[in-house]
Amino acid sequence: MTETLTPRPASVSSRRAIRRRRRGVDRILVVFAAPAIVLMTVVLLVPSVFTVIISLTKWRGFGTDVAWVGLRNYVSLWQSEIFRTAMLNTLILVFVGGAMIFAVVFFMLIGLRHMRGAGFARSVVFVPMIISPIAIGAALGFLLNPNGGVNAILAAINLEGLRQAWLAPDFVFRMIVLGLVWSVSGYYLAIVATGADQIPIDLYEEADLAGASKWQQFWLVTLPLSWESTSVAVVLWLISGMKTFEIVIAFIGTQGTPPVQARTAAVQQFLATTGGPDGTPQLGQASAIGIAIFALTSVFVILARRILSRDRVELS
Amino acid sequence: MTTTVTPSPGRTRANAAGPAEQRGGRTRGSKPIGNHVIPTFVRVMLWLWVAFNLFMAIWVGISSLKTGREIFNSPFGLPSTPVWENFVSAWSVSGFGGAAVNSFTIVAVSGVATVALAAPAAYVISRSSRRLARGLNTYVALCLALPVQAILVPLFVARTEVHRFAVEFLFGWWDDRLTLVFVYIAVSLPFSVFLLTAAFASLPVSLTEAAELDGASPARAFWSVVVPVAWPGIKSALVLNLLNMWSETLLVLVLLDDPALQTLPAALLRLYGTMQYNANWGGLFAGIVILVYPMIVLYLWAGSRIMEGMTAGAVK
Repeated sequence: MTETLTPRPASVSSRRAIRRRRRGVDRILVVFAAPAIVLMTVVLLVPSVFTVIISLTKWRGFGTDVAWVGLRNYVSLWQSEIFRTAMLNTLILVFVGGAMIFAVVFFMLIGLRHMRGAGFARSVVFVPMIISPIAIGAALGFLLNPNGGVNAILAAINLEGLRQAWLAPDFVFRMIVLGLVWSVSGYYLAIVATGADQIPIDLYEEADLAGASKWQQFWLVTLPLSWESTSVAVVLWLISGMKTFEIVIAFIGTQGTPPVQARTAAVQQFLATTGGPDGTPQLGQASAIGIAIFALTSVFVILARRILSRDRVELS
Repeated sequence: MTTTVTPSPGRTRANAAGPAEQRGGRTRGSKPIGNHVIPTFVRVMLWLWVAFNLFMAIWVGISSLKTGREIFNSPFGLPSTPVWENFVSAWSVSGFGGAAVNSFTIVAVSGVATVALAAPAAYVISRSSRRLARGLNTYVALCLALPVQAILVPLFVARTEVHRFAVEFLFGWWDDRLTLVFVYIAVSLPFSVFLLTAAFASLPVSLTEAAELDGASPARAFWSVVVPVAWPGIKSALVLNLLNMWSETLLVLVLLDDPALQTLPAALLRLYGTMQYNANWGGLFAGIVILVYPMIVLYLWAGSRIMEGMTAGAVK
């Protein structure tokens, strides 16, 4: 009897004690979380609902009439040559630029293994990521200027023929993509390499023993086992690539409006919001662009998760 | 004895099997070449990338001390005498002085306030057993998925309304920079809460239990026990926010028209836009240095923590 009874009060009291302690954190839950949650609701969630509503109207801003137009903004975006170009540019940037970024990442990953100074190299190639894209655009913009550094080098090494008007409307977007690839690849390399770091070394030793070449080791060991961090990197790239804005206007400067051939969807939205070239804001259209960016990004992220999570390798 | 001997037959067997496999054509006979040439080639490319980044950082600094003519005539040469006037003209004539003060104040206030709001929220979300806590966690993840494009138009519209409302009904005064501060805090909150929730969840529960057994209130236990222990994580959340806000440009352009209120990236963009008229390239590079070098210094000081926060935080 006593044996069965004595543990009981103890367990009850300790459970009660836990509950009391838990109740401690539970009691401050609302007070501690409220400021952050309220601010997020007021500045993020409520406006996002308004974006949907405004996207169904024709509106030039306060003091002007609001006309309900239903889905007409989305239809006219779809029909607009300018928006289609901007969206296509965004997709080119995300997919072609993304392919270049991850080609660079995997290529460099081969070299990072067992390299002396790998940590230093990783931290240096990471730096452009934390630098303002405006500064990167301005510096690269000078180098690519008709009289700038790149053409000067080409002239100096007798390759005059390769000189280009790098910043001409038809050419500048390629330069923007290259500039972006340069400035963000180090970040994704760091993410993927963090995953690759966790691969046990004996796997490589075993692969060596089995006579696998470095190339095979990369395909059979490094890639499958850093797949999870790779898929995180891909998702992050999709999210940030889809809203590329700063580096585009940095290449052009605000004074001149970016030429249509070089605009991304986010740039087009910025121009529609603030009025851009013709000076009148088109808030309905700008909202519709925002929703389109959000919707497309969500679709890409979900698809990427599906595709990439399929062949995950469990290390037993 | 046997344990030291057994590996060597294994190795010889592997070596014997290796060439046999090669002759089988699976590795196309290129194994020795692939093993050394590819990694070496990759390493050369990697170090070239590192060299290019270092070169860009130094080149920008050197160019900021050259006259406009020197910058164009010998883009990669050294200045005959350092032209410190470039910084004077950028600072006072091109408005980088005021912009630097704006940047510094806005970023410092928003960064500290973000972490101050995010930390308590993240703490209760990570510790509370109430169902509400799980709901809040989902809510934060939802807000994290919202791109700034999805709220841009309502923010642009609300800016004038907030200004008018504050002036007419609340304080008789308002500064649009305060609007920007609130938006920065709200936009940075989801990521900060997310990052800190992971940091707090990894702390042992016994820490706060001990404090509360000693009679500390839950709030007191958070402040005197959890915050000091989780300080490294809180600091890296702060640094990441500072970096992001320092480079942020889109919201500045949308929420602040008055150049006197804008931050450094907007000042650089404005100066860059005038280059085709006044060609003050020395001043432009001085502006880039003012914008970029503080971040590089921050990176030199907290580089490993920044990389960790931006990559490990993402991979988790």
